[in-house]
Amino acid sequence: MAETIEALERRIDELRVAVREAVLAGDPALASARRAELKRAEQAWEDALAAATPKGTASRAGPGAPGPVQEAEPAGSLLPLREQVYEALSLLQVPAAPKLIATVHEAFFGSTFPTTRVTSLKRDEERSFRTAPFARPYYICAALSADYLSPSRGLLAVSTWPMERRVIGSLSPRVDFLTAAIRVADAIERIPTPPATARRLLQRFAASIPGAAEPLSTPDRVNPGVVRQAADAELSVHAEADSRMRKEVADRARRQLADAEQFFGARLQSVTDEGEGESLR
Amino acid sequence: MNSGPPPGPAPGPAEARLDRLRGRALPVNHNARTISALAANPGCARRALMDAAGVDKQKIAAHIGYPAPFGQSRFAITRGNAFEARVKENGAAQLLTLLRGHLGLDVTEVGYTDFNDVGGNPSRELRHARTRQGLTGRDRGPRTLFDHPLLRLRVGGRHAYLEPDLIALRLDGGFHVIEIKSFPVIDGQADPGSVAAAAIQSAVYVRALRDLIGESGGDQARVSHETILIAPRDFASQPVATSLDVRKQLGVLDRQLVRMTKIEALLDSCPQALTFDLDPDEDGTPRRPRAELAAAVALVPASYAPECLTTCELCFACRDEAAGSTGALGKSVREDLGGIEYNAQALALARGQLPSAEQAEIAALLLRAAQLREQLLGEVIG
Repeated sequence: MAETIEALERRIDELRVAVREAVLAGDPALASARRAELKRAEQAWEDALAAATPKGTASRAGPGAPGPVQEAEPAGSLLPLREQVYEALSLLQVPAAPKLIATVHEAFFGSTFPTTRVTSLKRDEERSFRTAPFARPYYICAALSADYLSPSRGLLAVSTWPMERRVIGSLSPRVDFLTAAIRVADAIERIPTPPATARRLLQRFAASIPGAAEPLSTPDRVNPGVVRQAADAELSVHAEADSRMRKEVADRARRQLADAEQFFGARLQSVTDEGEGESLR
Repeated sequence: MNSGPPPGPAPGPAEARLDRLRGRALPVNHNARTISALAANPGCARRALMDAAGVDKQKIAAHIGYPAPFGQSRFAITRGNAFEARVKENGAAQLLTLLRGHLGLDVTEVGYTDFNDVGGNPSRELRHARTRQGLTGRDRGPRTLFDHPLLRLRVGGRHAYLEPDLIALRLDGGFHVIEIKSFPVIDGQADPGSVAAAAIQSAVYVRALRDLIGESGGDQARVSHETILIAPRDFASQPVATSLDVRKQLGVLDRQLVRMTKIEALLDSCPQALTFDLDPDEDGTPRRPRAELAAAVALVPASYAPECLTTCELCFACRDEAAGSTGALGKSVREDLGGIEYNAQALALARGQLPSAEQAEIAALLLRAAQLREQLLGEVIG
């Protein structure tokens, strides 16, 4: 850090006076040069503040400090994206789409992120794994579709989960949806005063589960216990067939796929080569 | 009509002539929109011929100076995709709830299969093969919802690939085509034009699905003529399901498809040397003289109706050509003035010109109408 925050604040004040003087003196060239300098100083102040925040020095910047108020940003966003995704997935315990992951993170961890960033995250994780396998304790990886063991479109999972949880058969989307509903209901019950975003999330789950909520009920009327019971009831219908299929697919994946493919999915070629999938014609 | 056109390309004199009509350009593929547009105006020889030959009507229209006035808005596409993604997210949770209520799906029917690609490979042939396998083959696990299957329909001797939003298969073996649209249903009412377009589009999918089931020896009646339209309710993005009976549209479509396979008759009425070739240079810029191409287009009779404005790329050219004819004023006017082809003729009869024998009846009506108008306006103005 070139200058301390306090020194920067003094410079910003001085530069503001200088800009005002140049404008009043009718010297546009000088004014715009000083404005540019002011902008640089403000940026340096922002950077210095961001660097100082984790050490708890942000409060010393003072309430009178100019520039946009950084404190409005939720604290959770300081974590790297992969850790935010990991937090949300660990709560859900099932493969999920970026949109659901972002909503869960917003509801329970107080910050959200644009889902477009998640697409590149998976690519980065794969590259990292291929360069140095198992160097990290976990990877954000793909869920594998049952038919061809290829990455299932738009779903993310965690590499430390058992393979059975990371493969997606035809019943799995529904089973995972119901499981996620139960996890969200559990998480809400653990919080004394759940935030409105969490209640809205539970309401959205409840609306698509028979018997989980009255139609048109408001978020604060949805009862986590009832949602869990309803989801459990439907889950018991599908669970057995789904876990049978998942076990079978997981065995096949472990048998056929190399490490990286087990996490990030196979391309069509590598599966049909082994003659496992039936002929396409 | 169940058997449909014979499978496989049938090279013959008709094929060769259609190729000549198209010239050097690559054939334009049909999609559900263009097929439904065909069925919307079955009487138009110009459109039937150009579509059978796979002529790029958009380019022809632009070159003869009548560029097409439409194309789907980027915003409409984005809105449509966002709504569809929302309905299908989380294992199609919202959709399942709707269909459980609407179709009476059993609680066990939740299987969901994604046909958007095959093992990461988006090739159309692969996707179609897998769709065929998924919809007709030995079942690998319970399947209820088929997301974006790729169907195929033979149109004028060529395969057109079609991609319905969703197909639902009930436990009793019945298929339902599901179309997701983003126009709103407000108080149970939607824009009739949009609904009509969705219905004919769904009919195209039903036809293609029936062909697929039929080819594999299944019973075509398993594909229901009742399709389901999913659209946002009122002003929110909450979806609502509505049934559409597409039997009428299927009838029109089947007639039109059969007509396209009998394209020889249409070809025979055209000169042998007729072609819509644009004579493009290396950059694809057309070099054919405009007047010459326009004359070639004019050789094939069109049947313009105001509805063409929303479905056919050549609409402006045809409208210009049809100016002054009673048909250009719409179906109802043409039917009211049965037997009279031009507006000028109708006006002349109304002014008291002596009619020919077959026009006597309509001439009397026109005369009477003109008198009534005279009396009314005469009083007002006088």
